Amino acid sequence: MPTTGETPISATGLTKTFGKTIALNSVNLVVPKGDITAILGENGAGKTTLIHVCLGLTKPTSGQISMFGHSPGAHPARLRTGVMLQDADLPDLLTPREHITLFASYYQDPLNLPDVIDMCKLAKFADKKYKTLSGGQKRRVQFALAIIGNPDLVFLDEPTTGLDTQTRRMLWGVVRELAKDGRTVILTTHYLEEADALADRIVVMHGGNIIADAPTPQIRAVAGGAVITCTTVLTVAALKSLPDVKSVRKTGRFVQINTQNQTTTMKSLLAADPQVSELVIKKPSLEEAFDRIVQTPQQNQEKA
Amino acid sequence: MQTLSLNAFFNECGAEILKAVRAPEYILPTLILPVAFYALFAFAMPNSGTSGARYLLATYGVFAVMGPAIFGFGVGVANERDRGWLKIKRASPAPAISYIGAKIMVTLIFASLALIPIYLLAGFRAQIVLARSDWFLLFGLHMLSVLPFILIGLTLGFSFGSNGAVAVSNIVFLGMAALGGLWLPAFLFPAPLQKFAATLPSYQLAEIALAIVGASSQTGAERIPLQNLNIVAIMTIILAGLAIWAWRRQRD
Repeated sequence: MPTTGETPISATGLTKTFGKTIALNSVNLVVPKGDITAILGENGAGKTTLIHVCLGLTKPTSGQISMFGHSPGAHPARLRTGVMLQDADLPDLLTPREHITLFASYYQDPLNLPDVIDMCKLAKFADKKYKTLSGGQKRRVQFALAIIGNPDLVFLDEPTTGLDTQTRRMLWGVVRELAKDGRTVILTTHYLEEADALADRIVVMHGGNIIADAPTPQIRAVAGGAVITCTTVLTVAALKSLPDVKSVRKTGRFVQINTQNQTTTMKSLLAADPQVSELVIKKPSLEEAFDRIVQTPQQNQEKA
Repeated sequence: MQTLSLNAFFNECGAEILKAVRAPEYILPTLILPVAFYALFAFAMPNSGTSGARYLLATYGVFAVMGPAIFGFGVGVANERDRGWLKIKRASPAPAISYIGAKIMVTLIFASLALIPIYLLAGFRAQIVLARSDWFLLFGLHMLSVLPFILIGLTLGFSFGSNGAVAVSNIVFLGMAALGGLWLPAFLFPAPLQKFAATLPSYQLAEIALAIVGASSQTGAERIPLQNLNIVAIMTIILAGLAIWAWRRQRD
């Protein structure tokens, strides 16, 4: 992929070691303009280290990286970047309005303060001291700081960890709006649901390696086939013997049938048990795809 | 670009002032303690006379500016670093210079607020007579005195967590004051302690201030204020190196 000064992130062979721990192992990543990319992985997979390297907060041990054609942490790159970091808190004694006003002054063309207060639903507590806010409210203020500068590139490091559903949906909504306007969003998460709901592209990290990197539907397709959920009189063993069935799981009165080919499996299921009911057919979840990818990192890495 | 960083600087100053004013439990002791001590030792103690008040005007002025500098930077920076705030700042286009610059501005404001009541007591209550130019010279010196203590505060702020920084800042603050001869003149110290006192910026700055107010030197030695100033300059350079080293070390 050709990279220019307009390419938000272009990294090759990024390696970072902390003593004997390899946090990043020769990572290659190019993020073009205007995508939502989710970096997915368990704790310790290297997601945060990768983000810190992109921001210039951590120097890579080796490898090349450029942010909009600049080295990470250079002022021109920072002017185009907004961040929401994990484990990073703001001073207690300022109000959200004061925090956001201060941050707006760092950027050349910031968004309107009232707009951001509205977008992030801060109005109710915009003039309370930061230390009196709840955890979810604090995260909303931190998110507002990430977007106030009207940046071309927004990093969100586990933005919704520990958030209530309502705040999470608000945040997702704003992220979608940002991407619609041609901005680039990178978010790390260990919620598959979040990556699935938001991202155009999913990068799966495991043990400092990128073990999969593809558009979201393609990652989901790794699991293949479909999942049939129903209640039936048939035994698990009988279900397993149906054509194209990969696995069967019983949960309460339901059974979940993993199939490679929903049509053939359904036909024979209905033939074997005409009384089958409460039938639902779903595409496999990202979670199943993820389990499969992480279980076979070697093979996927060769594919990638 | 210029107006952008200027705007950021003014906003940063406003934020620093608000933070300080909203934490009166930290700021009040650093403002009130020096003038209270000055009143106590210059007037309330027996055999305190104008010469004592003159002497203590010089040394308590240095003491008064130490608090805002050491605590503002030592505890303030440690706290904001601890909670990850400095990490967000470093990732954002916040100019580092305006963050430090705003903290220096606030330190100077609070240093002058700590100094002025001492000057008023000295001038009106103790009837100390100084030429107007000497008052300004004294004020200039006392304000300049914040510099080495800011650098010490920065080094502490970059080196300790927020709890540790409170403890260490207190030790450094009290040590600099007591051993630098700001409370009791150094000539009352045993000889080895007198030698040690000379290695402290608080002592060297007090010597220059004493020369300005026309009081005798702490150790009774022949006074050469320019030499004291040179020593302070060298100490400041060393402390700046130390602060830069501490800053680099905590970055990764």
